[in-house]
Amino acid sequence: MSPRTRRMLELVLDNLVWFMLVFVLAVFSIFIPNFFQVGIFANIIEASSVLGVMSIGLALVIIAGHMDLSVESVAALSAMTVGILFCSSGIGIGLQLHPDWLMVPVSLAIALAVGGIIGVINGFLIVRLKMSAFIITLASYIWVRGLVLVVSGGRSAQDLAPAIRWFGIQRLLGLPLTAWIAVACFVIFSLILAKTPFGRHLVMIGGNETATFRAGIRVNRNLVLAFVLAGAIAGLAGWLLAIRTSGATANLGVGLLFNAFAAVVIGGVSLKGGVGTLPGVYAGVLLLSAINTAINLMGLPANFTQVIHGLLVLAAVLLDAFKQTIRQKLA
Amino acid sequence: MTAPLLVLENVTKNYGAIQALRGISFSIGRGEVVALLGDNGAGKSTLVKIIAGGLEPSSGRMLFEGKEFLARSPAEAKAAGIETVYQDLSLCTNVDVVANFFMGREMTRKVLGVPILDERGMEQVVAKALANAGTRIPSLRTKVEHLSGGQRQAIELNRFVHWGGKLVLLDEPFAALGVEQTRRGLDMIRQVANQGIGVVIITHIMQQAFQVADRIVVIRQGVVAGDVARNKTSPDAVINMITGETLAGAGSAG
Repeated sequence: MSPRTRRMLELVLDNLVWFMLVFVLAVFSIFIPNFFQVGIFANIIEASSVLGVMSIGLALVIIAGHMDLSVESVAALSAMTVGILFCSSGIGIGLQLHPDWLMVPVSLAIALAVGGIIGVINGFLIVRLKMSAFIITLASYIWVRGLVLVVSGGRSAQDLAPAIRWFGIQRLLGLPLTAWIAVACFVIFSLILAKTPFGRHLVMIGGNETATFRAGIRVNRNLVLAFVLAGAIAGLAGWLLAIRTSGATANLGVGLLFNAFAAVVIGGVSLKGGVGTLPGVYAGVLLLSAINTAINLMGLPANFTQVIHGLLVLAAVLLDAFKQTIRQKLA
Repeated sequence: MTAPLLVLENVTKNYGAIQALRGISFSIGRGEVVALLGDNGAGKSTLVKIIAGGLEPSSGRMLFEGKEFLARSPAEAKAAGIETVYQDLSLCTNVDVVANFFMGREMTRKVLGVPILDERGMEQVVAKALANAGTRIPSLRTKVEHLSGGQRQAIELNRFVHWGGKLVLLDEPFAALGVEQTRRGLDMIRQVANQGIGVVIITHIMQQAFQVADRIVVIRQGVVAGDVARNKTSPDAVINMITGETLAGAGSAG
């Protein structure tokens, strides 16, 4: 095999999920009437912003060889906290700050802090006390959601302060600012993971934790940081969620966790750790979102989405195994 | 010999009631190659881990360059100048050759105050280091999982030669190497020692020990059962020390 074809093949394998996305979009555009419109594509990106942001944090810890099941509940708690503080009806207390724009950084900081704190708790228990990430974050998934129910009393907050809502309404090049925030997050964290020593260390820790420890990398510090980041990013997802729904309900975001896992796996991240890139995860998120949009446009019952998502995850895992065989032949 | 590089004084390690090391004392000089021999379970790997910062001793003390020394983590040992090659390879197979070579000491350049990996710079350094050692690997951007066992071990060996430091610990470094590569590996060890770096090599193969070592230290049941210059002993005598049939030239046996 000539080096050129080999490089081409590597390129295709590395970015398989993007090719899948283009393929799926092309098929939808041909077979579904009214699919091929700028508005539809904008909608796909817009609808994926919350899921996309949440998937970044999840992908980071999975690439580092761990797991964070709590991201969905953390996002809900952040959304509820912002909702209670800055909503004017329902259980919202309608906190006002002057000038109005001040509410944006304050609400964002609160959302990030709520997520970050839960990330610290998760990270400490898992890394310092060496407990299983699966169990610890499963517990967080449950108790954090419980906390959402406790603070809200099962009721909801509506009418988020207009200054914060502005991010969901104001558009730039046809996309609301919330969608741009998600895109920016993907760009920033993709660069961090691929180009900085911290990102490189996370990937290597996911690959062989013992080796990185022996090489003098501060494994514990890096892992705790990954959990804090996952929590804070989930907090950001919650902030976006509150803006999107202009408030918060007690069951906000239920089921997002499984979509995030699906996106991460479809995006080529191995649950064994050490393998995967964030651009791939974004393609996975967009793929899920495109399929949802297509199902809506075709007028199929929404219940079909879950079946298709499930099959897609299955296909992604099979494809991954297939990719491994091809790579072995390449080497 | 000048002042020794590393001195171990009565180092012990207990795992509960089990005494893995019952009081190890010996020293390593600058530029000296010490072969550490002993039967399975004699405590060689435990000893290496203690020096390398992977384990803490239960008692005893170590002097490194004349100063009290205790590495609480591999990072501390590395900072002091101690490099280790473990018998189960310490490579991350999910990243490429360059990333493994620079694991934990990546070259960076600042972009807007953020450290960014200097991939091209690192690749040049690795290419040069491997070329100097005569190791051929098709592409430095290949993930290590696609390389053979011999190539992997060559990366580890080249890594320690490149980073050097003051003391190198090798825990059965040639387990997966062929004849030619082993010969080259032994040459590398001499090369490193000639630069004034102390080398401790654990091996099971008597022939290798006699080929490369200046001094042979035998550990049996957690104590030093023999500490002799290579040219004053023979393989048969060393085997006797390992199995404990005689205690000719031996230190205190617990």
